[in-house]
Amino acid sequence: MTSLVSARNVSKYYGKVRAVDDVSFDIEKGRIMGLIGPNGAGKTTLLKAVLGLTDCQGSLSVLGLDPFRERKELMREISFIADVAVLPRWIRVSQLLHFVETVHPHFSRARADELLARTKIRRDARVRELSKGMITQLHLSIIVAIDAKLLVLDEPTIGLDIIFRKEFYTNLLNDYFDGERTILITTHQVEEIEHLLTDVMFINDGRIVLQAGMDALPQQYVELMTSGENAERARQYKPIFERDVFGKKVLTFEGVRREQLQGLGDLRTPAIADLFVAKIKGAPA
Amino acid sequence: MIARQAILLRRELWEHRSILVTPAVIGLLVSLMAVTGHVVVSTFDQAVDGVILGASALGETQRSSAVGVLMTGISSLFAIAMWILTVFYALDALYTERKDRSILFWRSIPCTDSETVLSKLVTAMLVVPLVSFAAIIVTHLVVLSLTSLWIEWRGANAWHLIWSATPFIDNWVATLVVLLALPLWLSPFIGWFLFVSAFTKRSPFLVAFLPIFILPMLEKTLVGSTLLAEALFVRTGKLPLFQGLDTGDLLFYEGEKMAAGEAPSISLLPLLDLSRFFGSPALWLGIVVCALFVLAAIYVRRYRDDT
Repeated sequence: MTSLVSARNVSKYYGKVRAVDDVSFDIEKGRIMGLIGPNGAGKTTLLKAVLGLTDCQGSLSVLGLDPFRERKELMREISFIADVAVLPRWIRVSQLLHFVETVHPHFSRARADELLARTKIRRDARVRELSKGMITQLHLSIIVAIDAKLLVLDEPTIGLDIIFRKEFYTNLLNDYFDGERTILITTHQVEEIEHLLTDVMFINDGRIVLQAGMDALPQQYVELMTSGENAERARQYKPIFERDVFGKKVLTFEGVRREQLQGLGDLRTPAIADLFVAKIKGAPA
Repeated sequence: MIARQAILLRRELWEHRSILVTPAVIGLLVSLMAVTGHVVVSTFDQAVDGVILGASALGETQRSSAVGVLMTGISSLFAIAMWILTVFYALDALYTERKDRSILFWRSIPCTDSETVLSKLVTAMLVVPLVSFAAIIVTHLVVLSLTSLWIEWRGANAWHLIWSATPFIDNWVATLVVLLALPLWLSPFIGWFLFVSAFTKRSPFLVAFLPIFILPMLEKTLVGSTLLAEALFVRTGKLPLFQGLDTGDLLFYEGEKMAAGEAPSISLLPLLDLSRFFGSPALWLGIVVCALFVLAAIYVRRYRDDT
């Protein structure tokens, strides 16, 4: 197996607060991993550790490098968008392109020019003159033009309207992802990335509560929509979570075979967002 | 390596346009003052012609020293502005990128923190003085050309009065040496400002200057000594670059010479004493202090995690 990211017992304390608590996981080459968790769950801290922006306990290896101690080497091979609004506001588009071209060994100016030609971004504009959506397009064009082995995106579409968000992910898939590259992404808007993920990881209170390939989810999790007596019968299979939808009960099961629930109501694979709520809220306190 | 450092320096000029704009504005103002000065002076019609005539009759030494004083006066304006610019630049250099969070972008690019902080130090120590120097030369030439035109218009010989006698190269080399020596001498302050800029959460200006004033006061009240005050304030006026003289004394010295009827020095160049400068332990001590602060700034940018 070719693990691009390998974490073993990674923890990060801020004073006495445990932001990341004994986390272990692997990300294989060519996967698109979604890291999903509520605010303050430790997502950003974990990403910062992966990017070498913060030190942590345990062993963490990214592309075979220690991200904190070998940051410069690491930054040649990975690229990241930490947030939408971090491009310096005073810089001109042409200056930004020239700067990255000079400093980054894997940046293709031709590729960036090609991507920018599709947008309305003027080369002589300063970043502060661009709309939020255009700044994201600009940032993404630069990132995509970097031939990086790993792309890390932390809430890349926060504050953007729905059209830009859709476009962002479409462009990401079309322009960047080629099966060779690997993406690690966090977002609140789970529904929007659900269809493009190959792997998913839930994090809550600094701990990983679920880690699975998307193709394995239907075998592991099932959702039953039912009511009345059938609901009562289904409860014996110990659902991990239960919610009301239009007067009906929706029960989420983990590790229960579909055949066992057959005939008790409508069965389906839970959406990531629902599964997330089920895992976080249904988790034994 | 050199290409990377060059683009980092250019980046500083893109961001801090005041480095280019301030000297340009001062040059423009000085040139405008020269024009208005000539216009105003021209109203004293005959008296002016008398003075020009008198000046033309002066010996070469006196003529060149008069022009030299004018040139040095202009240079001093730039030097003062340069220092103010340097202070604001250094305080801003590592602060704004954290305030607007663009540090997250800069850190996503394969540049080390040392490279980045060093580019900011080089900007303060070298780029700012060199830009000022270029502006000084242009301003000198513009002002003297304007004056020449005026003199010619008044019917005197500008070549004789100004250009033939003035030791330009001499004056400019001396100016360059002073401009480069000043930041070296004041480097502990530059280091301190960069460090403050790297660590402070707010108002770098206050955080940088309050200790400079409060610590010496505390020392005086608590211990009774004035070591800090001497180290901090006396240093500013004690640039050991001039033969047997400190910066403060220099003006006196020239004043006395003129009062005694002697011509002021034609150029500062013969007065410069580089071996005294580079032999001064205070200079090297200052450079060491600067280096420590810069290392601390790199360390803070590298290891503190507040993004």
